[in-house]
Amino acid sequence: MLAKRLKTILPELSIEEAIEITKIYSISGELKKDGLITNRPFRMPHHTIPLNTIIGGGKIPKPGEISLAHYGVLFLDEIPEYSRNILEALREPLENKEIIINRLSGNYVFPCNCIFIASMNPCPCGNYGDEEKECKCTQLEIHKYLKKISGPLLDRIDMHIEVKRPKYEKLFAKAKSETSLEMRDRVNIAREIQKKRYKNYNIYSNSELNSKMIEEFCKLDGKSQIILEKAFEKLKLSARAYGKILKVARTIADLEEKENIEYRHIAEAIQYRSFDKKYDN
Amino acid sequence: MIIEYCSKLYPEKLRKIENPPSRLYVLGNEKILNDNAISVVGSRTNTRYGEKMCKLFTKGLVEYNINIISGLAIGIDEIAHKTCLENGGKTIAVLPSGLNNIYPSKNKELAKEILNNGGILISEYEPNTEANSKKFLERNRIVAGLGLGTLVVEAGYRSGTRVTVKYTVEQGKKVFCIPSNLDNIKGKSTNELIRKGAILVTKVDEIIEEYKDIEFTKKEIVHKDIFLNIPKELHNIYKILNEKPKDMNEIILLSGESVNEVNYKLMLLEMEGLIKELPGQRYIKGIN
Repeated sequence: MLAKRLKTILPELSIEEAIEITKIYSISGELKKDGLITNRPFRMPHHTIPLNTIIGGGKIPKPGEISLAHYGVLFLDEIPEYSRNILEALREPLENKEIIINRLSGNYVFPCNCIFIASMNPCPCGNYGDEEKECKCTQLEIHKYLKKISGPLLDRIDMHIEVKRPKYEKLFAKAKSETSLEMRDRVNIAREIQKKRYKNYNIYSNSELNSKMIEEFCKLDGKSQIILEKAFEKLKLSARAYGKILKVARTIADLEEKENIEYRHIAEAIQYRSFDKKYDN
Repeated sequence: MIIEYCSKLYPEKLRKIENPPSRLYVLGNEKILNDNAISVVGSRTNTRYGEKMCKLFTKGLVEYNINIISGLAIGIDEIAHKTCLENGGKTIAVLPSGLNNIYPSKNKELAKEILNNGGILISEYEPNTEANSKKFLERNRIVAGLGLGTLVVEAGYRSGTRVTVKYTVEQGKKVFCIPSNLDNIKGKSTNELIRKGAILVTKVDEIIEEYKDIEFTKKEIVHKDIFLNIPKELHNIYKILNEKPKDMNEIILLSGESVNEVNYKLMLLEMEGLIKELPGQRYIKGIN
């Protein structure tokens, strides 16, 4: 439910983005009506999907689900149910934001710059870590279940967040919450800041920063550096995680409309890597 | 303040030891020096088990209105001091250096808190003296001397704790040891001491029973938050957490802070090793 709602807070499409999406839908024969696609796509392929349909392929290659989600959202529900080869095949395209399909007749490059979202349970029975319901899984079962998501794939996911079973009357009645519309306004502002910042670099958002740009745009002060160093030592993060944390911190700073990344932004970004913290994957 | 040997304020228990310091430099509440006190000592590199036991026993002793004596070192010493303060007890720190040179400097904050909470710092050295290894051992006779007995929480094979125990025995006082697993290298000395005749204790009452001629009064523990080396901005969150796991939503509600603030603060606390995250986004105060 949460993932589906994400669509409502995504920034508006620019005209260039809309044209690109429409082109992809057009060549894959998915265009339902004439004219431009004006909404960001939300793709949610079922876990029985064959590899070619998700990555793209066929005799005359057609874009797969990841390309159809270009500038939108690709959502894999219950990610451990997907076969290993699908999940591992997602690694490079998620990193490079494009997928190259080689055929005798030539190489096809499809873009796939999407937001990748996946959901899963903490264990096969779904109650691990729950206060009320008892988890009946053995440690081995839990370990096996979590191991279905390989370290390299997990590494490519910017934020890992655990959500509790909601207790509506107790928790949400009192807590003040932001509406999707308000959120979307904030997202739009942050997006504008990023567009302005990167206007000479031919990219739109923080997620597209390469390592050289990270050095330039994600400068850290002394305090942030110490926190990051400590986190690396403690969580044994990879080099890729380093870039991810900086990008997320940059985004948090943008959402607060702050010029520079502050230590609290870094700390918050690290907090969102809960898998690295808990499950030693 | 200086307390000379001939002064009325000079602690009676210390007067009786073989080689008493001729004068004591003290800072803080000197009235507590003659109160009932137990020395709690142990390894500087304790295990989690050691920490847990140290907390448990210190709290229990404070409940019986007993002051805690230790050496302000890292490890068991600081845990004993801190736990004592957290439970509203009074604690005595015997320094291996002059009062102007608090050693280790990491525990300066702790020293300050000890003074703020009616405790006292003691040294037999001139205020500007620096600590050295000889003094670490020398001061142990004062640690032993001020107490009714010594409780050893965890001690490795070669340890300054053994010296404290030696002094305790020489002074004719009782040595209590908390047993450890045989494969715990930090439990080597404690287990050996038990074998040689130290009193094995499994709960605080067993210490109390050894002092039949003293009447201890039990008091209600009032928990106190002690923020050591914790930046002020994190106090609010730290205060909410305790030994019982609390989940993220609860923390957000109780703190009244925004989601991102709580997130970054929890992260900082976790990096400092002050709290721990459990599966299911739950947090506990932590085992450092």
